[in-house]
Amino acid sequence: MSTPVRRHALIGLAVAGLVGVLAAWLLLGAGRRATTGFRAEREAVVSARALAELVARAGAQGDQVRQAVTRFTAGDQSIRSARVIIFEGLSLEASTFPEDVGDKAAPRRLAKEEKPLFDQGQRLRAAAETNREDQASMKEEIEVTPMADGSLQVAAPLSRDGAVVGFLQLIAAPPAVVAQAAPWWPALLAFIVPIALFALATTVLPERRLALSVAGLVLLMAGLLGFARVGSSTLAGDRGAAENAVASHATAVGTRAATLAGELNLAGQPFDPSAWDVTVFSKPYGVFSPTGQVDSAKLEAATVSTVASWRSLFWLLGGISGLLLLFFSTGLAARLWSILVTNRGAYFYVSPAMVGMLLLVFFPFFYGIALSFTGSTIYNTDKSIPQIWVGLKNYTEIISDVKVAQHSAGGWAINYQNFYWTLWVTVAWTISNVAIGVTVGLILALILNIKGLRFRPIYRVLLILPWAVPNYITALIWKGMFHQQFGVVNQVLQMVGMDPVSWFEKPFTSFLACLATNGWLSFPFMMVISLGALQSIPADLYEAARVDGASRWRQFTSITLPSLKPALVPAVILSVVWTFNMFNIIYLVSAGEPAHSTEILITQAYKLAFEQYRYGYAAAYSTVIFGILLLYGTWQNRVTKATEGI
Amino acid sequence: MRLRGLGVLIAVLMTAGAVQALAADLVIWHGYRGEEKVAFEKVVAMFNEKMAAKGIKATTLAVPYDAFADKITASVPRGKGPDIFIFAQDRLGGWIEAGNTIDPLDFYLEKGITDRFLPVTMDAMTYKGQIWGLPFNFKCVTMIYNKKLVTTPPKTSKELVALAQKLTNAAAGQYGLAYTYADFYFHSALMNAFGGQAFDAQRKPTVNNPNNIKSLELLMKWFDQDKFLPAEPGGALITQLFNSGKAAMVFNGPWFLGEISKDIDYGLAILPTVDEAGGKPMKPWITVEGLYISASSKNKEAAYELLKFITDLDAAKIMALEGRQTPANKGIYDDAQVAADPILKAFRNQVNNALPMPNFAEMAMFWSPVTTAMNSLTRKAATPKAAMDLAQKEVEERIASLRKNP
Repeated sequence: MSTPVRRHALIGLAVAGLVGVLAAWLLLGAGRRATTGFRAEREAVVSARALAELVARAGAQGDQVRQAVTRFTAGDQSIRSARVIIFEGLSLEASTFPEDVGDKAAPRRLAKEEKPLFDQGQRLRAAAETNREDQASMKEEIEVTPMADGSLQVAAPLSRDGAVVGFLQLIAAPPAVVAQAAPWWPALLAFIVPIALFALATTVLPERRLALSVAGLVLLMAGLLGFARVGSSTLAGDRGAAENAVASHATAVGTRAATLAGELNLAGQPFDPSAWDVTVFSKPYGVFSPTGQVDSAKLEAATVSTVASWRSLFWLLGGISGLLLLFFSTGLAARLWSILVTNRGAYFYVSPAMVGMLLLVFFPFFYGIALSFTGSTIYNTDKSIPQIWVGLKNYTEIISDVKVAQHSAGGWAINYQNFYWTLWVTVAWTISNVAIGVTVGLILALILNIKGLRFRPIYRVLLILPWAVPNYITALIWKGMFHQQFGVVNQVLQMVGMDPVSWFEKPFTSFLACLATNGWLSFPFMMVISLGALQSIPADLYEAARVDGASRWRQFTSITLPSLKPALVPAVILSVVWTFNMFNIIYLVSAGEPAHSTEILITQAYKLAFEQYRYGYAAAYSTVIFGILLLYGTWQNRVTKATEGI
Repeated sequence: MRLRGLGVLIAVLMTAGAVQALAADLVIWHGYRGEEKVAFEKVVAMFNEKMAAKGIKATTLAVPYDAFADKITASVPRGKGPDIFIFAQDRLGGWIEAGNTIDPLDFYLEKGITDRFLPVTMDAMTYKGQIWGLPFNFKCVTMIYNKKLVTTPPKTSKELVALAQKLTNAAAGQYGLAYTYADFYFHSALMNAFGGQAFDAQRKPTVNNPNNIKSLELLMKWFDQDKFLPAEPGGALITQLFNSGKAAMVFNGPWFLGEISKDIDYGLAILPTVDEAGGKPMKPWITVEGLYISASSKNKEAAYELLKFITDLDAAKIMALEGRQTPANKGIYDDAQVAADPILKAFRNQVNNALPMPNFAEMAMFWSPVTTAMNSLTRKAATPKAAMDLAQKEVEERIASLRKNP
């Protein structure tokens, strides 16, 4: 145990085991609490729905309603109080709330401070009507709010003759059954046993990092898996108990409701308690039958789903713990620590910049990637990321969008909003722009580099101007120049005797218009880079070449171009990345006309986010753009070894 | 001794703080600049004077227009942001669907208060049966003509065509009528004359319904056969044509008046009736700026008092005469000074024939496909029916893909 290799591996196992088991134990505790909370919620919803049906049968307004509410809440220990509000006349029809007595007793008009109550009701009404109209379940028809003291507030809409006329609010007392903590002894075993076994194993195993790492990993996974087994069975048991409890509660409520209905002489079909056990979107869970019999197949399915979600979290945990173990056992941790300690001062100076970059660059970047795994749109901005998680759906939708062209009676029709078409346009755009930029820039730089050129500073200033003018203004001016009737370009064409072109009518001419604009904008950058690199080539190289009899062209290809490589290639990489994402020109000059045929990936992503409000999908689109550019940059760098000198 | 002084100081500060807490401090966000901003601040100052006794004080904050909607979406649902904000009704549906942004006003509205507004502006503030804001002012498109070229503005479409053709000389770049007809917002006036709609009563898109197609066919007839409209009309082109006297008439809104050059003598008139639609008038879509109470506001009752004051006659007079707005309060147009102003009177007359632009969230999905369709059909790359059928399909697809998500 004295050798560093063994020590690292043991520390790694201890830390990974501690983190993994502790996190798993906490998750298990949270899972148990969630199941208990879920049960309390469903019981409360069942009570609320039962009361809502009773009140609806009693006519939603009037004395019978008050009696129904009073008797229903009185006979049930699990219900603290309830109230019924009817929208017309802003009326509080019935209430067993302690403060609604005396001159504030129901029926009365709602007071000014009770506006949030009224708004809640209207929200439920709008949600119920939208769900009914759209035949979808997008809006919450029932709102369950946990209160500070552990009780639950359930609000459900009240319908009469198919229209929502009011709503009902019910406060359920804190549940009698409290969630049990996760068992601690399996966690302790899962932590201690792998370490003990590992200590024994190190005496037999060779002192190699690989062997020890593998052994450590195996033991760690074994320990965690054992704990996972225990956790799964605990949660399954909890869920089964919860479903049974909800079923029996619903049956009991059903019996009481039937009795009450008889007492108050309310007509109607016998009550169906299983229709009261619904999600917040009013979809029945359907786990038990109207008579309270729990369907074992449905129970199985419900249990499996609970355990499955816990298990997937567990896999994530296992992965993280494994990585943590490897971090220590491969000696990486020790090396990092020694670097940090020896360069304390340097890291201290760098830390403010690192914090800044973390906040301004890394956090938004990773948030964007996280967003791309969700189905975030303008309709669900209030939900948290885990609630709207869709995994790789956005990415598969983008990549699998292969219907580029359709064959119809009139010939092939290209689907211009297709990802691959847009990718093709973007690649063509980038290649043609960079080619033009580099060629024109290099030629101008060679001209400007001629010895003894008169008025060189004036030419330099004039040639930098396209870069200096804000490209927003440039784009709008060029767009005006390409106007079919009043634009300069068409006037010139007519002067030369050619027909005027309607530039934005066909994809190719529209593309040319954008190309011309961006070409004009991009050559100054290349010119400046080339000029700088040209001036750094030693003149005696040319001297020697001339003496040897090399032609001008040979000099160019053998001396100039290779010397320009270290400067031009990074410039080309930069230019490719900038042009790939050149939003302004495409958006302002052609705006994707005609019919989105000249869109590039970045304008498409913008329109997805801000015109279609599909934020998650747009984030995935942007991540794909990033991926493409990252691949390109790495490949280009490797192929040309650009960052090395000649 | 020193401790006692400190204690007294703390006690004084606490009571002062307690007194402040009884009063309400309201913050209003708006996107106004120039004379509108000055007029609005004057109105708010009047409110502060009136409410000084009750301790209610309002402050305004000018937020640049382009970032306005996004700032509201980012701040209000998280509990920050203003108490009241002013914005057009087109984002209303989106904010309501997203939730936690605007508070409905039904609870506060006393009987009869909505009668003081032009009914069509009140419609713009209503969504799914609830009232979400009070209308402040409206903007709509009307006919603006060059008095030197046009002595009597046309009243029917036949007169319009005849007059426009007389004043058109395409070779010299002169046009009888110029407006951004490829922008659906401007085309809506013609569409509504034929009884067309963008969305039906159940909020389903009906972009390609037969009445819409008829209105587009009339537009193409004006462009193609009667030849008095310029090609590829952009906002900048229209302004330039009108200011150089090369466009006799334009269909445009109050925002255009500030861009007209000083040497053009212009007049305003109601949009003509359309003979091809049975003599029905052209009904432009109006944009109504509404006053909304944020869901995050801590002083909603005080905010409602402010809303009532700002939409009342005294405030409307200042906004009309000094802010050059057209208020939604209908009583103000009986005021002598306001009635004497030809511009305000013209827009007031036009709003009698106007419809509110739909305020649902789905409207946002509508613009892009329809703009593509308008561009392709005005370039004669597709027939109106084909282009609109494609747009209808696209709008339906977009709405469906948005609904699909959790």
